[in-house]
Amino acid sequence: MMTNRLASPPALAAAALALGLCALPEASAQDPARPVALVHARILTMTEDGGTIEDGTVLIRGETIEAVGADVTVPPGARVIDLHGGTVMPGMVHAWSTAGVQAENGGGVQLPANIPDRFRRRFMSASSGNSRPVSTPSKKVAESLYARQDVYGDLLDAGVTTLVVRPEGSGLPGMAARLDPAGGDDSLVVGDEAYIVVTPQNTQAAAKALKDMLEKGKKALEERKKPKEEPKKPEEQKKPEGEEKKDGEGEKKPGEGETPEPKPEPKPDPDPNPKPEPKPEPKPEGDQGGDAAKQDPKPAEEQKKPEPKKDPNAEVMADLLDKQRRAFVNLSTGADFLHWQATMKDLKDVAFPAAIVADSTDLRSGRLDQVLEIIKGFDGPVLTDPDLETLPDTRTLISQPKRLHEAGVEVGFVLPDSQREIEQLWFQLMELVRCGLPAEVALAGITRVPAKALGLDKEVGSLAKGLRADLLVFTGDPLDPTSTLTHVFHGGRSVREETDPR
Amino acid sequence: MNSPKIPGSLAFRAVLVALAVGCAADAALAQRPRFRRPDGAGGRPQPQQAEPEAPAEEKKVESWTAIRGGDVYLGDGTLLRRATVLIGDDKIHAVGHEVEIPEDATILEAEGKVVAPGFCIVKASGFGAPRSGEDVRDGMNPFDPTIKMGLAAGITSFLWQNGSGNDKPGGNSSLVKLAYGDLEGMVGPSDSVKTMRVPLNPQQMKTFRDLVKQAREHQDAVREAAKDDKKPAPKPPRGTEDILKILDGETRLWISMGGGSRMFRGGGDGGGDDTTEIRQAMEIASLLGRGVVLDDPVCAWVIADEVAATGSMAIVNPRNRVPSREGFEDSTGSNIAQAAILHDVGVPVAVTAPGGRFGGSGVGTGGILGQDLNTPHVDAAFAVRGGMPNRQALRTLTLDAARIMGVEARVGSLEVGKDADVLILDGDPLHYKTFVDTALVNGKVAYVRAEEPYYRHIRR
Repeated sequence: MMTNRLASPPALAAAALALGLCALPEASAQDPARPVALVHARILTMTEDGGTIEDGTVLIRGETIEAVGADVTVPPGARVIDLHGGTVMPGMVHAWSTAGVQAENGGGVQLPANIPDRFRRRFMSASSGNSRPVSTPSKKVAESLYARQDVYGDLLDAGVTTLVVRPEGSGLPGMAARLDPAGGDDSLVVGDEAYIVVTPQNTQAAAKALKDMLEKGKKALEERKKPKEEPKKPEEQKKPEGEEKKDGEGEKKPGEGETPEPKPEPKPDPDPNPKPEPKPEPKPEGDQGGDAAKQDPKPAEEQKKPEPKKDPNAEVMADLLDKQRRAFVNLSTGADFLHWQATMKDLKDVAFPAAIVADSTDLRSGRLDQVLEIIKGFDGPVLTDPDLETLPDTRTLISQPKRLHEAGVEVGFVLPDSQREIEQLWFQLMELVRCGLPAEVALAGITRVPAKALGLDKEVGSLAKGLRADLLVFTGDPLDPTSTLTHVFHGGRSVREETDPR
Repeated sequence: MNSPKIPGSLAFRAVLVALAVGCAADAALAQRPRFRRPDGAGGRPQPQQAEPEAPAEEKKVESWTAIRGGDVYLGDGTLLRRATVLIGDDKIHAVGHEVEIPEDATILEAEGKVVAPGFCIVKASGFGAPRSGEDVRDGMNPFDPTIKMGLAAGITSFLWQNGSGNDKPGGNSSLVKLAYGDLEGMVGPSDSVKTMRVPLNPQQMKTFRDLVKQAREHQDAVREAAKDDKKPAPKPPRGTEDILKILDGETRLWISMGGGSRMFRGGGDGGGDDTTEIRQAMEIASLLGRGVVLDDPVCAWVIADEVAATGSMAIVNPRNRVPSREGFEDSTGSNIAQAAILHDVGVPVAVTAPGGRFGGSGVGTGGILGQDLNTPHVDAAFAVRGGMPNRQALRTLTLDAARIMGVEARVGSLEVGKDADVLILDGDPLHYKTFVDTALVNGKVAYVRAEEPYYRHIRR
């Protein structure tokens, strides 16, 4: 770089000196004040409107991306990394991980000792899920995590810059946690309420447990929306009306919940309501700020009438039905979707923001493209295995991701939980692309789409001004097996640098 | 969409309505089942048979399917040549030669083909139904590829059983329909069958007798209570619930003849004689005043008249071979003519597959190369070999099988109002070379041979 310009022999000494001097700033390259510029990069922005910049620059300042483009001016003093045509893409978003989760009672199987053997066997061998359903949606997996596990660093090194781990178990095992894979004892957990895990099982008992919990949430929500004693003045009534409409566009549900009361009535508690309203914005940072945001309505109510003790699980479900939280619903096979549909049939007016996670393919229980109608009933994307599958009783390979994509479903991928498997993931994606999935879709499936499923797409998952500087640098096309991951930036910090990748 | 008006169908409906009205009037007196035929000679009980229920109100049909021009086996032994089966949504709407086909109907041409009701299998497992479970829906897999395999063999419904009774009726059951990809469509009526076994020792027989007595007393008490509006209906005595259902005709009672090995029935010497057990089962039938179902008897052919006299039915395996005792060849051992003999005296018969090393008698998907799966029509063909008329033999897989499972109001024949479970075959239903071309379950095409990997490569 600098040395190139110094041609004369006497200058070599100066060059050596310069290098030596450079060494100091280089050592403190992680100094957040010093911008980093990745130049001569082929940039896969992965933004919604797409776009690849063939020869561009990514400028990182502090934790965020300051600029992305073909003609970005590199500020003086910036650390410049010339990629010589290498590729830059956003860091991977792993939304459905169990990395470092300590399984309770051996893999989440929680069976009371007095269960007869034949039931025990049945639950153990059930095709989808192997544990007895639980109803503890308010349980936080974050509480059972600790930072000093190699797996977090390994995943980060492999390019996973956003990591969300979930509780294991079936039914409603609890809430997932967003982690900082580089975080320490106190900074591992970024947000402990990333989403509610819903892992339905195909039994009537499990369906009933799930329905009961949703009903409880519905009741709690109705309780919350009930007008408080003091009816308010007309001026106050106007405001909430507007808000109600906002609510209504998103979903019919709140409207129905309120039908018992004439419309103007539910205003009385404009205080608790408006706070949840601005949700759309808080969401991106909902994980960090989630706690505070969610607690808001509660204190307000508690002050008013402290007597009735609230079931935290019901409250969490109420938040979900109120669209203050999101759910990840684990449905892997066609049969799972049919059972889900049968479960939800009786709860017509219950709807909530949910992404689908299809993390275990079993074509003997139906393909996802056989239940497209049910899938399209969800508003979130589908995260699925990045695999080609063989149709039962044939040698025909099919690509479920491709079929879903072609049917207009937004497809993302479930990432594996070890560094080695993540390295193989690029192969899997390559195979999918070879079999007809557009490369853009394949790469969005590990970046933007899972970020969107998490409600974090304003923060991570693509490369644009203002987003977190989470990015990966490859020597060539990321899907090309001959290219190498040379750099990983995580929140603007370089956490992997291979200077001699070949 | 007007329902096609054909005189036959109209008249039939009128009869149905009359029946329904009559029954409603009767309801207070007794929950007497509706028999198709009046009591036969000497007032002896007839095997139970319910008619398809007339819909409470005429539902508007949303989609029509017509199977046109095939030779139609109705399933009750009747054959209509070059007839049309009209399906409205999920039910049979009309069958006949002059059926008016609505304009927007989907037409399946069956000229030169054979149309028959889907086969009802009394004993089977697999096909997406759970191995066990409290509820038949638990773990049910409507996308199980074995469903397609079953449809390829002509099977459209079977009885799922979980557990069984021992010295008194017990076990759960449910009709499972092979409605590929349709969870709700797969679940049929539940608990239409309870099972028990003979022989009962004297003590067990006494207990059973007492239970029946209590159940009858309860029935009387209920009748008494019904006269007085204010009195709440009494609760059934403990242990009589299933017997009450049997007495009321809601549930069929299957009685199996002792242990698993037929060889050793009738004593330790392998006498090949289970008439004693069958007679005990007949005694139970008399006690209940209802026919029962003999589950795979060996020697029912020896005492066929006694079986017929109780209005009982039988599940028979025509391929089963049990040697007779030396010197008693005319009264012991199995007989290939058993199905025919029973049929001749008016005992409805269903066929089942032979018991093998790899599972009990019944159609399964777990046998070697799925061999059991391909056999229902072959088993019926063996009944023909034993002397049963060809068309009547089809009943062993259709209407009579459905009666034995207690679901004849829903499936088993191409009768107006029943579920539209229909096969289009490329030959005689019982011929071993015949393939299913198309299978419909609940009025929806669930299998097309040319589209599934199993037999599409076979051409002739």
